[in-house]
Parts: sequence; structure tokens; C-alpha cells
Amino acid sequence: MPEDKALKGIRVLDFTRLLAGPYATRLLADFGAEVIKVQSSHTAVGAEDNGTGYFATWNRNKLSITLNMNYPEARDLVLKLSQKCDVIIENFTPRVKHNWHLDYETFKRAKPDIIMLSMSGFGQTGPFKDYAALGQTVQAFSGLTRLTSYNKEQPMVLGNAYSDVVSGIYAAFLISAALDYRGRTGKGQYIDLSEYEAMCSMMEPALLDYTVNSVISQPQGNSSSCNTSAPCGCYRCSGTDRWCVIAVESEEEWHTLCRIAGHPEWAALEEFRTAKSRLKHEKTLNKLIEKWTVLHSPEEITRLLQDAGIAAGTVNNAADLAGDPHLKDRGFFVKMEHPVLGDMTCDGTAIRLSGTPAAFEAAAPLIGEHNTYVFGQLLGMSENDILDYRERGIIS
Amino acid sequence: MIDLIVLDLADEKAAFCSRLLADTGATVIKIESPTPDSSRYKSPFYNHVPNMENSLHFWTQNRGKLGITLDLNKQKGRAIFHRLIQQADVVVESFPPDYLHVPGLDYDVLSAINPELIHCSVTGFGNSGPNKGYRSCDLVASASGGQMYICGDPQEEPLVPYGQQSYNIASLYAATGILIALHARRRSGKGQHIDISTQEAVCSALDSTMVRYFFEQTVSVRQGNRHWNNQSCVLPTSDGNIYITFGLEWDTLIELMHAEGRAGDLIEERWRNEEYRNRNLSHVISVLRSWTELHSTGELVELGQSMRFPWAPVQRVSQIANDPQLAERGYFVPVDHPEYSTTYKYPGLPFKSSVTPTSEFRRAPLHGEHNSIVYSEKLAFSEEEINALREEGVI
Repeated sequence: MPEDKALKGIRVLDFTRLLAGPYATRLLADFGAEVIKVQSSHTAVGAEDNGTGYFATWNRNKLSITLNMNYPEARDLVLKLSQKCDVIIENFTPRVKHNWHLDYETFKRAKPDIIMLSMSGFGQTGPFKDYAALGQTVQAFSGLTRLTSYNKEQPMVLGNAYSDVVSGIYAAFLISAALDYRGRTGKGQYIDLSEYEAMCSMMEPALLDYTVNSVISQPQGNSSSCNTSAPCGCYRCSGTDRWCVIAVESEEEWHTLCRIAGHPEWAALEEFRTAKSRLKHEKTLNKLIEKWTVLHSPEEITRLLQDAGIAAGTVNNAADLAGDPHLKDRGFFVKMEHPVLGDMTCDGTAIRLSGTPAAFEAAAPLIGEHNTYVFGQLLGMSENDILDYRERGIIS
Repeated sequence: MIDLIVLDLADEKAAFCSRLLADTGATVIKIESPTPDSSRYKSPFYNHVPNMENSLHFWTQNRGKLGITLDLNKQKGRAIFHRLIQQADVVVESFPPDYLHVPGLDYDVLSAINPELIHCSVTGFGNSGPNKGYRSCDLVASASGGQMYICGDPQEEPLVPYGQQSYNIASLYAATGILIALHARRRSGKGQHIDISTQEAVCSALDSTMVRYFFEQTVSVRQGNRHWNNQSCVLPTSDGNIYITFGLEWDTLIELMHAEGRAGDLIEERWRNEEYRNRNLSHVISVLRSWTELHSTGELVELGQSMRFPWAPVQRVSQIANDPQLAERGYFVPVDHPEYSTTYKYPGLPFKSSVTPTSEFRRAPLHGEHNSIVYSEKLAFSEEEINALREEGVI
């Protein structure tokens, strides 16, 4: 008999929107938590429009209810619902939450062992607590934008809201830790997660270099990723905008690379004889390597070098990833059936548990799809009451 | 928050995983080979002096852990490891997939010794699939996971994000997977194996990149200092750089610039049309730039945020270390370094929990620092036995 899902029996009341919060609750839902997403027909637009691929991707496996939080009755329903839940998660700025009078103390009175996690750009305290933040905002604050560049002059943006995903995983991590604490002590807790600080935790060596050595780290292009070895970098290949990366770690690997490239004479050159001298003449070296790579596809370079035990890879774009035979073999992308969008594909999970794996069973909900289940079955409201609340715009 | 014993066999590829577990209260025992591995030689270094106790990279990734040495290549070393496994909840390793088939270190053997064990493997490409034997590193994972292709100047080569983010994100997923498995264990009494592929971890953190491919057939490309939606970018100011948004904010922003006589022709009605702006983006950005360059970053961020625009300074590490927001929240915490008779300020926890309101950390272990404590207290070895093991080179 298969084991139960890892988070079976855990119910999460989810007030989050956009990416960071929904990513956290998707992760919990993938592993079996029952996530009830609180929506409102007034705010279900853009990234929160249930009919979009974006929403469908980040909200699979969740339930949706609608509530207009401007009504005091809606607030009362939320408090009642919280008594049936284990976890509450929200990502409003502190200002908005305050307007609703729904804070941890209030929830704790309703359910003493409740776990509540607030995630916001800058945390619940401090002079910037109400600052508006997107993923790129947080990345700029954290130093990631400044340090991701080819040179000192022009910072580059990442092309994705990386910090939103980082914060989302952190939130799921902390909720899981809080569940363990509750399992051992019977006590809930409140967690205040700052997305800015979460992103800073991904920049720690550079921060410590400043606090310890007073060194202000500078961008290092693709060398930032390498240890003190060369060649290590990104090289142009044949085709339009096609690239490979190569990371040579030892003298033996360097000699092998020269042989595979058909240029054993490179290894004999004085300026490339040691790792140190190769680093010193890195530009000349990289130009030479590129003369070889540009004649081949990145897949070919990768195969040739990997077969010889040298770390190398194709710089994959979205289409490459979708067709990647390795990811396909591992079933990384999953197909789901959505009532409006039809057949759809999205990423599965990077967390592969052997005993209680993630499951991708339910498509993202339509707006308010689970009002009857949640308000009727869970809260015991009568059909007439639900209808009345609907007509008055409270469940809406 | 958590009460676990974690054995950390991971090098720099996943040392951050058990660090995260230590952050939430786990007892982490780092097991190193008697010959220190490369993660102790990762720059930057304390006082710029490279040696195995000076890597600041190692300092942050291993703070709060205990450190012992043990030679797992020796029969005796593996036997001792198996005794530790009996008492452990979690083992984290970053060996190449084949390595664990070395008799005595694979999941089948370890789980037979301790069925409750949660065993997490962090590898470049995972434990299955045609590329599972491929070598990887932070750069290869960033490339093969799809991050590099969407980062950098469209005219230049793809760029890896700073700070070994492939390793970081894989560790974050790994630590989360471990706690989810822990929850399952509470009910079932059974441990399990966790397979983390760094490539998949990177690909999972691409935000909408794959969504736009699967739903709109759009292949995201590098956009330099612009965000993909063309509604935000990084621009120079009089004293640095600022991240600004100009989508929803357009009307207000143009009014502000116009009041200073700096809106140019952007005041004209046609520029209110988003599609028109996107077609003529370089002009939009050059006018915006001529305005941002007249002001300091701080001034503009304050102005934007006062109108709830998500604007940000593009900060250097020195600005982060002196940030009033982080100071108010006590983000940086002093960590004692007794051998230098001083404390250094470390980045602390990115969260505040009502059950663990303050945080204190022990600095990263010196090589083999806690051998005596761990071997005598956890395994009840006598001093003679420990000395003998030391002489044999097992510890």
C-alpha cells in the first residue's frame, strides 16, 4: 500500500498573491497539504486571474474560496475557518493587514496552536516595513543585481524574479519547521519572514567579506562561479545565440581538453602551463577555446567533454529545457488537465522524495470553486446562509 | 524549532543545506575527511590569507555546526560512521551518484541500519536519467538549468548570477524536502531518500520563464538591464544605480518628471499607450535616464516608495551592511572568534520566530574541532580509543 502524502491532514489558509507566497503554498500542496486560497472577484486580475497559465501553474493542487474582506462578516468567517486550519500564510505589507484587524494575536485567540507566517518585502518591523517590493526590488536591495555583471559599470538584471522563489521556498521550509515544533510541543508560533533578508542569506560570503575584511565585492562576470581555475566560462557555439559552459578543474583535465579540441600544442604553451598562468592570460585563453567551440553545437561540446569527465554544459533556453532528454527521462515537466486551459504543461518539483513523493493531481481552481465545500462542509453553513452571503457580496 | 541530529557529508555544493537546518535548531555534525576538501579553500579569505581555517565562504556556510574528521574510505571509518547513523535523523551528502554505490555508504545500507533515516543526496543532475553521471558545478548547473540564458547583455555571452546561486537554491530545496520528509516520518515512523538535482533546482527558480514558453511559446531572452516585461529597468543615478518601474506608474512618473521640465516628449498622449512605449523603448529609457542621472539614488527611492512604487537602490555590500532597515531588525549578529579574541558580524536569520526570538551562533568548526566531544559523548569512545583512531588516520 502506498504511503500517505507527506503533509496529509495539514490545512493551510492562504492569503498570498502573485509569486512568492503562492510558490510556498504550491510546494506544501504538492506534498499533500490542503491549501485554501482566499480570493476576491475584485482582485482576481493579472497574475491572480484564474484563467491564466501563470495562475494555473502556481496554484495547482489548491482550493479557492471567495471573500470580500471589506465586510465584517467576511472577517468573522476567516476567524471561524482559522479554527479548522493548522497554518495561516499571508504576504501583504504590514499596513494592509492592520486595516483588516487580522493579526497573529487575533488568530491565536481563535486557535491557540495556530502557525502563522507573514512574508513581506522587508519584514513586519523597521523603517522600510511598508515599502512596496517586487522580486527585482528585493534583488536590487540584496546586492545580487549590483554584483551580477560583466564589469563595475553596468549592473544586469536576472530576467526572473529569483528572490520570489527563494522567499517562497524559505516560507515552506519555515512552516515545515514550525509543524515539527508543534508536533513535539503542541505549540504554534508566529513567523515574520523578510524577503530582503532571505535574499541576503544567499549573498553571505560577500557580506562577510565586508564585515570582516572591509572588502567591497565587485562583479566578476562568469568567473564569480569558478574556483581559481581556468579555463572556466561561457563560450560561443555554432548556431544563433547558442553557448556552452566549460569548467576545467585540474591540470589533467586541461590536457584532456586540449587533446579533444584537436590542439594538444595549447598545453605546451608557456603562458598556459599552470592554472595560475592560465588565469593570468584568461582572455587569450578564452578566445582560443572559443575558436574551437564555435565550430560545434553546445550539445556536441558537452558530450565530448563530459565523456572525458570534464564539467561542461549547454546554456539551455526555455525551448531546450522543454525538450531536454534528461529532464524528460526524469519526468521533470508534468502534464495536467485544466478545465479552461485544457492540456497544460508545468514544472513538477525539484524535491524528489522516494517514499512520499509530490503529486500533481488537481488543476488550479476556478475562482470560488470550493465555496460550497469550505463554507458548507467545513464551517457547517446552510445552503440558504451561503446564498444570502453570496447575494450580499460577502462571499464574492 | 526543530530537534534533529544531522550528519553533514556535503562539500560546498550543499553545505548550505545543513546550515539552514542548523538555523532552525538542528544539531549538525559536519563530517570531514582527515585531508580537508576544497570547500575549506574557497575565497574570500580572512585577512586575504588563504588557508584551511580562513575561508569566509566556509565560515558562513558552516556556522553553528560541530565538526569532526573521519576517513570514510577506511573500513574502520565506515564502521564508525554506521554507529553515528544509528543515532542520526538525517544525512546530507553531495557525492557524485556513483560514489554512494561504494559498499557501506548507499541508502540501502544506511536505511537498513536506521530505517528512520532521512537521506538527502544533492547532485548535479540527480540520481537517474541519461546525464546522471555528468560532472557539474555551479556554472554548469546555472547553464543547464536555464538561468544563464536569461541573464546578461543580449550582445554578450550569457551571465551566471553572482554568489553560487545554483548551490544555494539546491540547498534550499534540499532542506525543505528534509523537513517535509520529517513530517511524513512522524506519522509513518519511516525515513526515505531525497534526490535533489541542482539542474532541476535552478530550473524551478526561473519564475515565469517556462510558463511563458508552455502557454505562449515565448522563449525568454537576455535583456541586459531591463526586466522581460519592459516595465522596469536599472538606470544610473548621480551616485549609483536605481531599479525603477514604469508600467502602472507611468502617469504619475511623467507628471513628476514634467514638473522638473525633464519629461521631454513623453508628456504627449501617445506615450500613455503601453504597446507604443514597448515599440520605442530605447527612447523611453533614454529620457528616463536623463532624469534619474540628475538625482541621487536615495532621493529617488524615497520619492518612488512614498507613492508605493517598488523602486530600489542597487546596493553594494557596504550599503547593505549599513542599511537602517537591517540594523533595526538586528539582521547582523556578532559571532565569537575566540582564537582572534574578537567577534565578527555575520548575516543572521532572515526571519523572526515567536518561539526563538534571539539568535546566537557558534563560528564554523575548525578542522576536527569536535572530535573529542562527539566521539566520547555520542559514541562513548575512551580517550585511548580516540588516540588510537587518530594515529591510524581514521579521524
